[in-house]
Amino acid sequence: MLRYILKRLLLFVPMLLVISFIAFGLNQCTPGDLIEAELENSGVSPSAYLVEYQRKAKSLGLDKPTFYFTLTSVAYPDTLYKIMPARQRKTAAALIAQFGNWPEISNFFQQQRVFINQLQTIRKDTATKDHFNMAMTAIRQLSQTYQIPSIQAMFDSIGLALSQNPALQEYMGQEFDALRKSWQQISLNQSRWKLYCPTIHWYIPENRYHSWLTNIIKGDFGVSLKDGRSVSTKIKEATSWTLTLSITSLLLAYLLSIPIGVYSAVHQGSKMERMLSILLFGLDSMPAFWMASLLIIFFTSPEYGMNFFRVLGPYSLTGDASLWERFLSNLLGIVLPVFCLTYGSLAYISRQVRASMITELKQDYIRTARAKGLSNSQVVWKHAFRNALFPLITMFASVFPAALAGSVIIEYIFNIPGMGQLMIKSIQGEDWPVIYTILMLASLMTMLGILVADLLYAIADPRVDLNKKNATNRT
Amino acid sequence: MSIFNRKNKRLVQQSETLPEQGLRSSPGWQRFAQNRPALWSLRILYLLFFIALFADFLANDKPVYCRIEGQSYFPILKDYGIRLGLSKGDPFFFQRDWKTETYETVIFPPITYTAQQTDTPNGYVSPFGKQSIRSPRFRHWLGTDQLGHDIAAIMVHGTRTAMLVSIISMGIATLIGLLLGSLAGFFGDERLRTSVPRLALNLIALAAGAFYGFGVRSFAITEGPLFAELLKSLTIFLTFLLAANLLAGQIDRRFKFSATIAIPADTLVNRAIEILYAIPTLLLLLSAAALIKKPSIFYIMAIIGLLRWTGTARYIRAELLKIRNLEYVEAARAMGLREWRILFRHALPNGLVPILVTVAFGMANTVLIEASLSFLGIGLPPESASWGNALQNARSHPQAWWVALFPGLGIFLTITIFNLIGEGVGEAKAA
Repeated sequence: MLRYILKRLLLFVPMLLVISFIAFGLNQCTPGDLIEAELENSGVSPSAYLVEYQRKAKSLGLDKPTFYFTLTSVAYPDTLYKIMPARQRKTAAALIAQFGNWPEISNFFQQQRVFINQLQTIRKDTATKDHFNMAMTAIRQLSQTYQIPSIQAMFDSIGLALSQNPALQEYMGQEFDALRKSWQQISLNQSRWKLYCPTIHWYIPENRYHSWLTNIIKGDFGVSLKDGRSVSTKIKEATSWTLTLSITSLLLAYLLSIPIGVYSAVHQGSKMERMLSILLFGLDSMPAFWMASLLIIFFTSPEYGMNFFRVLGPYSLTGDASLWERFLSNLLGIVLPVFCLTYGSLAYISRQVRASMITELKQDYIRTARAKGLSNSQVVWKHAFRNALFPLITMFASVFPAALAGSVIIEYIFNIPGMGQLMIKSIQGEDWPVIYTILMLASLMTMLGILVADLLYAIADPRVDLNKKNATNRT
Repeated sequence: MSIFNRKNKRLVQQSETLPEQGLRSSPGWQRFAQNRPALWSLRILYLLFFIALFADFLANDKPVYCRIEGQSYFPILKDYGIRLGLSKGDPFFFQRDWKTETYETVIFPPITYTAQQTDTPNGYVSPFGKQSIRSPRFRHWLGTDQLGHDIAAIMVHGTRTAMLVSIISMGIATLIGLLLGSLAGFFGDERLRTSVPRLALNLIALAAGAFYGFGVRSFAITEGPLFAELLKSLTIFLTFLLAANLLAGQIDRRFKFSATIAIPADTLVNRAIEILYAIPTLLLLLSAAALIKKPSIFYIMAIIGLLRWTGTARYIRAELLKIRNLEYVEAARAMGLREWRILFRHALPNGLVPILVTVAFGMANTVLIEASLSFLGIGLPPESASWGNALQNARSHPQAWWVALFPGLGIFLTITIFNLIGEGVGEAKAA
């Protein structure tokens, strides 16, 4: 048994690794530039922008390459990731994709910086404000444009500002010529062939994935982008809610569904049983969030005179009151969400219990038991139910993840500060570190749930040999 | 020898002609038809398909047909024409308020609103309450929401969204599931054998195809017309694979490579299934959908399709594990048919009917996922008509029970009929 558990836990490693690729890959696809958005709000002066940007990038670890290696073409430098801000990096990549000559493009960027620096040193009385602004706007936009016509338009704009203002022309003329020359060099010395020569750049071990993964292994999940609190404390608070809810509802579902399932198997075909099975089938198809919406509307608003329950406000499990007191005080608020989480799995499990009881009751050993004069309840509970139990256990592997996932919407509707609500709020607020940590944790919990189900199965049924191949194959 | 061969031929031919028998007369259909709830569900499903297809003619602010000043018009058809670029829109058509127009004759759709149309004087009107409308013809039969969107119109157009999402995403999922599941089930870990040069060439072609098809062209794809550029990239990618396999065939023949290695198809597919099974689908969907800059129904279909193939794959794998040991497959093999031909012409068609069960349950699940996503307002454009989206509005205004009741009923009904059909097919198969 212990060997089997160890083996399964070892199998978790490659699976979690793949899941981490997925989470990290999604993480890299996040639209927008986080640092840019943050700096825009803080109002950093344009001259200090780059320094501030680089400092932020370093603190967030964004100054490193993405992965251990990249498959790219010779045209791209292996230091492309160092170009900041991200917008400029995008421009560089797009220019390389069109011309393939990084040295010339790099020179072009260099000339742009020289031009901006020179323009910033200009005395304000030399140039009129309008022309200065016109040139400044154009050169700033130049660093973000990669479409050839737009670049031409920017050049025209700067040229116009310079030609209309002789003082500006005198001060900036040399730099402008150098800038224009560097741009001409790009289109003159194209080396598009380089784009078709593949190469691999290695970044070991200094890369973002590596530091992300090592931090996670150390237990550091990063910091929430929204409020700066660490992701692990946020998730810890939320997990207790989600686990409380899903374990309560699962317990309830199992406890109730066994008598229901057994009853409907024993009384198969009776009027009561038929009604029960229609009801269960209906409940199985009933979307939990519709049920939740209906319950909220009819049972929490005073409109219909049936406001027996209430929707909880923001609160947390930690506090002075004992668990029981808080449980009592929150009981009215927790009944509806627990009901919504329970009825779906209740219906599903009852139907499974019924099906497996029906197969067991047809077996020969049941007839034998009856023939030797055992009472009905003895036959049902001691003989048939024991054997009908096994599918119940394996079902845990599919019911548990469903309960976790189901709590997402239920928590959102009933305003319960659990993982589901945290997830949705983080998605709405684009708080990526939280999102991907939840994704990884939920996967881990699901895998543990499956493992627990397999172990329970082996404990319940001595015939199951876990070390045999295919022992874990469920249907 | 010839007798043996003839028997084999018969067996193989039987396996080929089986699906061509009339569906209605097949014993499986007979058993299915005896299951009244399942049969009725199928009929309701046809009705839902009908509503989805003709949503524009069932709920629209324009009349189907009208006659103004001696001229006949078909405004809804004309609207289709304009959207397809076949017909020019004239000001006469656009500036008209169809509800206040005086007609000589007019045929309105049963519901005289579109799902997007607002009717602000009639915000939150109850189906039974007083509505400020010009004629009973323009009544909001199922009430309205805050901005006066007609719930009945949302129901009709929401059917279209739900059906579209569930059919296309389950189509994608079923295709992937069929391919991977049959590879895993039919070939197992040992039987998918290939020569070493072929394997190496295919791996190289994969990398090269990805590089020249997508890597080099990434700029063209993002800047140019997306669909055309993607098609070009895909062509390049497939050309590489084709070239590699042609070359491998030549090499194998010329140098007589006989050593082959087995590709552990079953293990690979099972690992993939386990990983997808471990990640909670809704969470993965939510995080993937959140990345989309411009929400669109097509992304949602693609994402659901790419994530939900595991059920079908598991089912078809189990089915083919049984089939591959049947007599006719062995007969086909004895006749010297190629493995791929046996799989696609003989084994797979006979395993297809059972996967209708997973398809039906999968459809139910997809409807639920689409409704959940639009309920949360993630992934679908906010203006698209969908049941989940309408249900979301209900929470802010508890008085309006009709906003919560009808869209939810639509979701419930659709899920129930898919579940009933799934059960019906499953029982018909088992009996």
